[in-house]
Amino acid sequence: MFEDLLQGMPVLTLMILFPLIGAILVFTVGRSMTVIRWLSLIFSGIPIILSILVLLAFQWGEALPAGENFADPQFYESYQWIPSLGVSYTVGIDGISLPLLLITPLLTFLSILFSWDVTTRPREYFGLMLIMQVGITGVFVLLDYFVFYIFWEIVLIPMYFLIGIWGGPNKDYAAIKFFIYTHVASLVMLLAIMAIYFQAGANTFSMIELGHIAPGFATTFQIIAFGAFLFGFGVKMPMVPFHTWLPDAHVEAPTAGSVLLAGLLLKMGGYGLIRVAIPTLPEGASAFSPLMAVIGIVSILYAAIVCLAQRDLKKMVAYSSVSHMGFVMVGFATLGPVGMIAGVFQMFAHGLVTAVLFMSCGVVQHHCGTRIIQSLGGISQKMPKLATLMTAGFLASLGLPGLVSFPAEFMIFYSIFQSWGLWILVPIASVAITAGYYLWALQRSMFGPLTTRIDTTEIHDANWYEAVPMAILVALISLFGIFPSIMMSRIGDAVSIILSGLGVG
Amino acid sequence: MTTTIEYFSVMLPQIILLLFALVCPALDLWLKMRRGIAYWAMIGLGIVGILETLALVPETRGLVTFLFWASPPATQVFEIGAFSELFTIVFVFVGGLVAYASPPYIKDEKHHGEYYALLLIAVTGMSFVATAADLIVIFVGLEIAGISSYALTGFQKTVKRSTEAAMKYFIVGGFSSAITLFAFSMIYGAGGSTNLRQLGSSIIAGGPFDPIVLLGIALVIVGLGFKIAAVPFHMWAPDVYEGAPTTISALLAAGSKKMGVAALFKLFLVALIAVKVEWDVAIGIIAILTMTVGNVIALQQTSVKRMLAYSSIAQAGYILIAIPVAAVPGIADYAVAGGILHVITHAAMKSGAFLVLVALAVVGLGEDLRDFNGLSKRSPVLAFAMAIFVLSLAGIPPLAGFYSKFVLFSAAVFGAAGEYSWLIWLAVAGILNSALSLFYYAKIIKYMYVNPAEQPGKLKIPASVMLVVLIAMIATILIGVYPEPFLEAALGAAGALLGG
Repeated sequence: MFEDLLQGMPVLTLMILFPLIGAILVFTVGRSMTVIRWLSLIFSGIPIILSILVLLAFQWGEALPAGENFADPQFYESYQWIPSLGVSYTVGIDGISLPLLLITPLLTFLSILFSWDVTTRPREYFGLMLIMQVGITGVFVLLDYFVFYIFWEIVLIPMYFLIGIWGGPNKDYAAIKFFIYTHVASLVMLLAIMAIYFQAGANTFSMIELGHIAPGFATTFQIIAFGAFLFGFGVKMPMVPFHTWLPDAHVEAPTAGSVLLAGLLLKMGGYGLIRVAIPTLPEGASAFSPLMAVIGIVSILYAAIVCLAQRDLKKMVAYSSVSHMGFVMVGFATLGPVGMIAGVFQMFAHGLVTAVLFMSCGVVQHHCGTRIIQSLGGISQKMPKLATLMTAGFLASLGLPGLVSFPAEFMIFYSIFQSWGLWILVPIASVAITAGYYLWALQRSMFGPLTTRIDTTEIHDANWYEAVPMAILVALISLFGIFPSIMMSRIGDAVSIILSGLGVG
Repeated sequence: MTTTIEYFSVMLPQIILLLFALVCPALDLWLKMRRGIAYWAMIGLGIVGILETLALVPETRGLVTFLFWASPPATQVFEIGAFSELFTIVFVFVGGLVAYASPPYIKDEKHHGEYYALLLIAVTGMSFVATAADLIVIFVGLEIAGISSYALTGFQKTVKRSTEAAMKYFIVGGFSSAITLFAFSMIYGAGGSTNLRQLGSSIIAGGPFDPIVLLGIALVIVGLGFKIAAVPFHMWAPDVYEGAPTTISALLAAGSKKMGVAALFKLFLVALIAVKVEWDVAIGIIAILTMTVGNVIALQQTSVKRMLAYSSIAQAGYILIAIPVAAVPGIADYAVAGGILHVITHAAMKSGAFLVLVALAVVGLGEDLRDFNGLSKRSPVLAFAMAIFVLSLAGIPPLAGFYSKFVLFSAAVFGAAGEYSWLIWLAVAGILNSALSLFYYAKIIKYMYVNPAEQPGKLKIPASVMLVVLIAMIATILIGVYPEPFLEAALGAAGALLGG
């Protein structure tokens, strides 16, 4: 019924343009706090409406009219940009981009709302948030390697500033570490892109066209190029042993920065793997599949164990991101339909859940002045609203059935069993560890007798602009936990196309 | 037979520049209006710039031909074409920026007339090298530009480090010129001609003069290596760039160095292309050394001017990638276009960065990293421009520097096959170096945007200096957003150089 809703409307370009216009307006006419806040809220919010329209108009399953092909990206636009290199501005989405495209404006919008009380250099702060939204949206919709890479890099600069200007005490170190790690990773990815571009010799950077040519390349070439992609995307996700930039960046970043970093930037790595690396270089993917599984499982377990030892609530959440992104990697490594659908869904789920977790840490830091678990305790007596939302977030993250992470993680375990049988016993240990560190942290920081290590007289509950975003996210977490098929069915189509290219499905 | 008139018409751009240069001291004597001399110099540069641009664009090329010569004369010593035109435009552009930014910067000095005259003569020399089709003309051009740059470097006679830099530059420059000339004599001896194209066909591998050619190649690498400050011949550059008046540092980094690049392109890719096996690996190694050493030493600098000097060394290393890659059949055009594009983008971003230092110097600030503290508060526009320049130098898309690096590195990736598979290491080294360089470029941004200002108050940057910074910034962004025409021009110039 909604198929014709967005007929002829460049909706994806508009989703990139609105935050860009918003950023320019904030930088130029943002004279007062009120103007800055509302401008950024409106211009990051309009893409949410557009993204919901996209979800409604998105065609999938049996609803597709005869003669049309699911392999074609929807809401497709293409314009020439640098003809002599074969670069064009091409956007379009399929079921893999759709869930990530949905959470991008949502998380940016909620982060901006959550940052309602930021008063240091507000113009730069909100402007940079909007520019980040531009970059991330671009990454998830672009179908041209060259422009994809440009947007990929654009994301880094606002995040560098967000950590470097509004960060914690050790922000200089964390900001530059983040920048260098992810930049090196992007450059290695760029090498792989160049290699594919020249190997194809078709004078085009189009992901679709190269996606048709590249699977025919020699196996050696595919393995080398896939290795470069795996490094580039793996650092971004991040996978052990290249994960060390993430805890540093999170501990120092302001809350909104952390939300975007964990909720969206990490997804770029996973998205790159399934959008670019696996379908373009299928032979490389099957050669690397065991290594990917090992890396993923090590990340899941190692990060979970490290979480147990954390004193800082936020650092714990940061390491839990590494653990949860490990599930994505393992899911992709199975190269089977269940694992890949679940991997994409896990990215979507983790985006929603981790935002709640980081917002909780932000509220605790803000109101109690510390995030050290040992110093907290019994805070729920002072902050019932926060305690409710935070518990919901923690439970969602440890994979409670009925909440969004459960179907994703369950399906990934199922696919591990399908592919590697009893090896499932190794990663499944993480379920216990994850439940352990979350519940233990919750018990020590939120419940029990009220702490005497910090002054608790002034502590009051979460402000409206902090509670509302978390409540919205918790509502979505339950919605998609109960009806995961809303997303899964749409993801499924795209995954089956990739698998048919791999010669599996 | 080429008549005298035709000879002159070939040299028209250089003659215009020289005539304008000769009037400058007289203007200083009579007019007593210092800004006027800068305008005068800019008119000269502007005329040449417009002329060359008209000649470069195919649609208007006929107009220039019609106005100045009936048919483009063919001579033994000059080669007019897309290559010479593009390089001259770059030199004139940099010269114009420097001239316009100069009056506030050198207002306390004497001899303004000579300053602008030398500036114009330096640009003349550079354009001679770009136009040359003959060893002797290349050498004369190098010397014209060199000698005027020595004098310009020592222009602040009361400043000790300026004089020291001039002395150092003069000695190293003279030394390297001698080596270059010696190298040219070897090549002439082996090839029997001073014309580059004739050398290209007469010097072939396996001939009886091989040892002499080899010596010539080695000496060219040394001599021109000094000119472009390639490692290990770079020692002079940081001292000279730091000591010279900052406007002249911009000219040296964005102009003089590119002249050396033009000369290298001509020698290796036109005259010595047949013996490429003798030099391609050597230049590849020098390219990797140059970018790595430049970036590593730049990391530790606390003076931004010195940091930019080392960054210039590193950037020359990137350009050098083009030469060995161009030896691979089939992608020579693309590789050289990458080098030329980097010459263009580097001219915009590096001169812009130096001009930001000029702006700071004009309002009494130093050139240390500390002087950038809180610049985003004190002069938001200047800080933004500087951020654009350093991000572009680091190769962050979608700024100018990204495209030229992209073409250079991707050419190396493309060329890496079969016996040339070692070329991939050029791309890998370039990419690792880009990441490395980000560290010190980001440091500048951190000082400007993160650190608080040491002194309160807005900076009052003179409009003229601000204007040139903005022009360089717009150029950096424009090439980034719309690279197509620049890439086309670079490809055209590469074709002109290689195809002849």
